[in-house]
Amino acid sequence: MMFGRYRGAFHRECGSVSVEAGPVNGLMTYRRRCEGQTFERILVSETDEIVINPVEPVNLPEEITDFLMMEFPPMVIGPGATQTIYLKFPVEIGVYLDAAKCIEVLDVFAPGRQKYTLYGPATTGVIARYYWSAVYPEIPPVESFCDGVMELSISNASHEWAEVSRAVFDSTDMKLYYGEFVAVTTTMKILSKLLAETDFVDVPLKSDMVKSIELYTARKIPVLSRGYLMEWGLS
Amino acid sequence: MTFDLTEVLEIPIGVGSITVEDLLYFAIILIVGVTIAKIVAINVRRALGDRLPKNERELLVKLIYYFIIVWALVVALPQLNFNLSGLLVAGGVAGLVLGFASQSVVSNLISGLFLMFEHPIRIGDSINVANVSGNVEDIRILSTVIKTYDGIYVRIPNEKVFTSNITNYVHNAARRFEYQIGIRYEDDAEAAMRIMKEVIATHPFALKNPAPSVFVDNFGDSSVNLTAYIWAPAQNWWGVRTDLLWKIKQALEENGIEMPYPQQTLRFADELRVTNRAPEKRERME
Repeated sequence: MMFGRYRGAFHRECGSVSVEAGPVNGLMTYRRRCEGQTFERILVSETDEIVINPVEPVNLPEEITDFLMMEFPPMVIGPGATQTIYLKFPVEIGVYLDAAKCIEVLDVFAPGRQKYTLYGPATTGVIARYYWSAVYPEIPPVESFCDGVMELSISNASHEWAEVSRAVFDSTDMKLYYGEFVAVTTTMKILSKLLAETDFVDVPLKSDMVKSIELYTARKIPVLSRGYLMEWGLS
Repeated sequence: MTFDLTEVLEIPIGVGSITVEDLLYFAIILIVGVTIAKIVAINVRRALGDRLPKNERELLVKLIYYFIIVWALVVALPQLNFNLSGLLVAGGVAGLVLGFASQSVVSNLISGLFLMFEHPIRIGDSINVANVSGNVEDIRILSTVIKTYDGIYVRIPNEKVFTSNITNYVHNAARRFEYQIGIRYEDDAEAAMRIMKEVIATHPFALKNPAPSVFVDNFGDSSVNLTAYIWAPAQNWWGVRTDLLWKIKQALEENGIEMPYPQQTLRFADELRVTNRAPEKRERME
């Protein structure tokens, strides 16, 4: 497991990813390799403390949106019905420099490819990070550096049947936890065949999980917990 | 001879009963007002940082800045014995005169306010207005500043911006672009389309939905012409367009599919025979 807090020199390796910090030519240097790409920075700090944890998966290859769209096999949900399912979601890894009361984002990386999509019409819709997942009734096994587990509780508050095959989230309010794997808990409340509210719940999937420092927290951007209203269809 | 500051301050400047002291107070209040406005604007800009989009942040900063300036002016004017209530009475006539005199200034001002609140363009947008293409650098009270794609500063009065057709290339979330790629007649068009779709699918910003479309568009003189329609986020479509084109060419060539040079096949009614007559000519010359 690579996630955690490091002070001074360290080296962690996991598959095609390696992260290290140590003196190079007398200067403390952070170096990351991921799928053939290298990122390096000389660090000048009194604390030398580095935090590595999962972050909102909407930053790579460059930050263009806050939205994440999960697509999954279609589900037909009856009026008043509730179902909790598990999905795999993409993981991005954030590296922070931590000094007294001041956290700075140093690096964000992830193995694998990213894909983006448009949710809604081109005029008023939003660009979203796209990810397809199978639907699991229980927590599925995941590669901790590539995928995380999303618990999605779907409830149909409308008076009609609804078909759902995608859920769009505003990642500014994302609450990530990590332990053996990365996890996030979400809800989706179906309001009609075309409308649904999605939101993140600030609880760990397992009791021994640690809360991540999200990018929005690190950047000190105030966020109101308001969820996201999906108004351009659920499938 | 002694210098008496009080006497100097009480010297009338020749306009009504205004003294040097009144003028000094007026100037000090204005300078203090402008200084406060600048300090507040800088701090608001710094405090908001990344929290607001640049356009909204700049609008808010400008509103605060001009509010403080106007406030300083209102506080300072009575120092010159300027009765603000009188201004309201005189406003009708003076406004008419000023209106005619400063018609274009007021028109630009009003247009600027409309531009700020209607948001047809935002700072950073890629636009074409009044036959000028470039990125919006600033939307000011009287004018809009555009930096053309070759880096030239262009100032357009807001009235002209407001009354012109504005093409905003990044107003929508996504936009489409297209490629026309010709392949040889003997190449497998089905395979070429499959390869193109695979390359497009690997690009993160070639959008999954609306899905890209690749098809045989027409039969050209020298090639079978394929067309690809690809949607990309409006903010970075140009990068996607330039990046993908070369990747598609490379992928096609790796699979033995080539883009032909312009060529024509000529057919002659009679069979053509080429003979080497050079030796015969040489003999005759000798």
